[in-house]
Amino acid sequence: MSKATLEGKPISLEEAYRKAAEILSGANFPLIAGLGADIAGARSAILLAERIRGAFDHLASQEILADLDVMRSFSMFTTTPNEARVRADCFLFVGPGLTKLWPSMLERLAPDQAPRHGAQAGAPRKIFWLGPEASESAGVGAISLNAPVNEINGLLAQLRATLGGRPITTEAARATPLISEIAQALKAAHFGVVVWSASAGLDTLAIEMLQGIVADLNVTTRCTGVPIGARAGAAGVTQAAGWMTGFPPRTAFGRGYPEHDAWRFEARRLVESGEADAALWISAYDGEPPPWVRADLSLITLAPAGKEPDRGLYIEVGQPGVTHDAVEYAQEIAAMTLRKANQPTQSPSVGVVIDAILAEISEASWC
Amino acid sequence: MLTVLRGGHIVDPATKQDAIGDVWFKDGRIVAPPAHNKGDVEIDVSGHVVMAGAIDIHSHIAGGNVNTARLLLPELHRAVRARLVGTPLSTAKWSTYETGRLYAQMGFTTVVEPAMAPHHALQTHLELNDVPIIDKGALTVLGNDDFLLRMMRQGASASAINDYVALTVSNTHSLGLKCINPGGCESFKENMRSFGLDDVVPFYGVTSRQIFQLLQKSTQAVGVPHPLHLHMNNLGIAGNIDTALQTIDAAEGLPLHLAHVQFYAYGVEGKHGFSSASARFAEKINANPNVSVDVGQVMFSDTVTISSDVLKQFNSLSGAIPKKGAIFDGDANGGGVVPYAYKISNYYNAIQWAAGLELFLLIQNPEQVYFTTDHPNGGPFTAYPDLFALLMNADLRAQMMARLPAEVLEHTTLPSISREYTFYEIAQMSRSGAAKLFGFKDRGQLGVGAIADIAIYKPGKDIAAMFRRAAYVFKDGERVVRDGNVTHYKRGKTLHLSPSYDKNIHQRLDAYYAELYGLPRTIFNVSEAALPKENAFAEVACRN
Repeated sequence: MSKATLEGKPISLEEAYRKAAEILSGANFPLIAGLGADIAGARSAILLAERIRGAFDHLASQEILADLDVMRSFSMFTTTPNEARVRADCFLFVGPGLTKLWPSMLERLAPDQAPRHGAQAGAPRKIFWLGPEASESAGVGAISLNAPVNEINGLLAQLRATLGGRPITTEAARATPLISEIAQALKAAHFGVVVWSASAGLDTLAIEMLQGIVADLNVTTRCTGVPIGARAGAAGVTQAAGWMTGFPPRTAFGRGYPEHDAWRFEARRLVESGEADAALWISAYDGEPPPWVRADLSLITLAPAGKEPDRGLYIEVGQPGVTHDAVEYAQEIAAMTLRKANQPTQSPSVGVVIDAILAEISEASWC
Repeated sequence: MLTVLRGGHIVDPATKQDAIGDVWFKDGRIVAPPAHNKGDVEIDVSGHVVMAGAIDIHSHIAGGNVNTARLLLPELHRAVRARLVGTPLSTAKWSTYETGRLYAQMGFTTVVEPAMAPHHALQTHLELNDVPIIDKGALTVLGNDDFLLRMMRQGASASAINDYVALTVSNTHSLGLKCINPGGCESFKENMRSFGLDDVVPFYGVTSRQIFQLLQKSTQAVGVPHPLHLHMNNLGIAGNIDTALQTIDAAEGLPLHLAHVQFYAYGVEGKHGFSSASARFAEKINANPNVSVDVGQVMFSDTVTISSDVLKQFNSLSGAIPKKGAIFDGDANGGGVVPYAYKISNYYNAIQWAAGLELFLLIQNPEQVYFTTDHPNGGPFTAYPDLFALLMNADLRAQMMARLPAEVLEHTTLPSISREYTFYEIAQMSRSGAAKLFGFKDRGQLGVGAIADIAIYKPGKDIAAMFRRAAYVFKDGERVVRDGNVTHYKRGKTLHLSPSYDKNIHQRLDAYYAELYGLPRTIFNVSEAALPKENAFAEVACRN
């Protein structure tokens, strides 16, 4: 049986839905944040945000927007993990901790196996990694250039300059001779693939430089990228926000229609500035807590069992794809998939809870 | 509840009506007039034109590439006004919700998304699910996929190919097959930068011609009503009329649908080496009744090109306006999203505009030519009313032509064409013909038994205004639009086929996915359980 509490005291689910509706519809500017949810949960949350004229943000928006800002201000070349697996003859991994951010990365991309398609089929791949963690390796034959994450921007700049035949200081070239080797390998590759994650600490400039390298290489050969998406369903939530509102998270409905502004509608800023006076915090994957500190905010938390916060209204929800079936954007295929629950419980999904809250507020949900 | 629409001008080519009359419907279907001649609800539509709900056969409204365009161009779709009651997100520009509202307002009740990648089918269906009011459908893209090309290389039997085609259509819940630059996208992965009808796909040793001919035959063999929907090679390139004419010859008399043909109607005349070749193209289409086309009309506007022809989109990237884009090498086709602005003062764009209209006006059979803008590639679907007005009014065309760069008129036959479409011809193109083209027996017409999808327009001097805001629209007999405004949402269905095939192919495909990708094939499934509500789909019968 699922549970709900108000200031630590058990209440019925019906009471909890009513109370949540009361808080959200009574707020001047309600916020739906965290948004760690599957597609159904994101859908319901965005419909609720629209209904209550609030804002919505995702807990990993900074990482989502790092990639998105590069696409929408520069350009973006991408491919699927499948295509990288069967076709890449040169991999360039960028940033620390990629195998933690995507635990099945090496199994999926199989850099230690030869490519299967194209003229390069059967020949061993070249594998490089800029700035892995000390314990990380892409396997036998992989060459790592150890560097802290704050040096990656400079190394990528050096790589792009080398590829473009532009002058580089001799000290830099001496310090990192491997950059020339990477440049040559990418230039000679039939289908190079760069793999990165904003969650590894790469900023917009690093990602733009990396995509600049890809774009430059495509003048003469083929090269593309595999981004590793952020945590807590970020990629799927971004897709759902895209088709429902036209915009990624950090979008609000204060005027009755969606407006996207990555600064104005950042959840933490909205809370800490006092602009938002109530928040629905959704973190169904792992119960990650909000990043803000503010005691007088009316707070509703949707999180899995064992992640009850110490204040406000709490409604226990299931974990997407674990305790209930869930549609998510799957990193391993760069596409949506239906994940079957492997430990099913009776805890309601985020979608079910929010639909129940919405039913207390509104004109009936249309679908 | 029995409803009657009294005294409207019924324009319904499927039942050969073009006269004043009444339309009766009950429980969501058109019914015969009862003997007592009395409806529970009587609506006076005298002075109005009454048609079946319109069908758009080719409009990119859903799927990963469309969503990439939304995220790529936030500046191009800022919302400006709040919605009406009962229509959540209906003013969120480019959203699926707005798409449903805008189509319904224009009297459209069925729309086909023409490019669903098999491995991204679930997202397409999730997006289609969130398009309210109208019914939807999609075409599945094959022709650059390894499994097919590998079978061709191995000389697989026609029945093995047919099983694969039928399974793919069935599993992805689509209305048939689209083929997009067959072999060209695979070749782009091999660093080819152009790809013609008889170029050979590296690694597989097959040509574009062979791929599309095979899929064309297979589409027929498995009973898919819609002919193979082909996006030819060499889109957008001066002189590509030759590709188009050769492709029609290569169809060898079998049914074939050519998509957005305006983008292939280019000769090389004039000082710019770019001219309209629509007259030759139309002549060829008139002589080949096995071929149907949609136009992909260019309407002058800021827009974005969205295509699974990755090779072409990559080549377009350097001309992007604004200068950005997304190039995606997918498991098969992938996609490219490149923003663009069509300007009336631009010679090339003006030729494109003229070439599209020539095709409409020179192709004689309105059930052979369809009115797309290849939304959003030539312009948004919201420009259809303006397009219909141009087709129905030669004076309007002349006014527009006066604004084009003067040299354009030397390289198009448009000024010499006086034809004006009638309402009946508009209805053939947008209703009866479109339904036939997809094998829809229950729509695109007002015959007894058809779904009561009905669009009612108030004619006036401004034809575009008439089509932009229908006076009434009924979807499944329920009124959803009054005076150009959507009054509320209802849920439409996603239409699909279930062609049969030999289930032994499951084993072969399971082994293929496991061996090549190390994945279960089921990870790509479109399961009804993945969609927000039950009964999202409605099946359309295959032929035979």
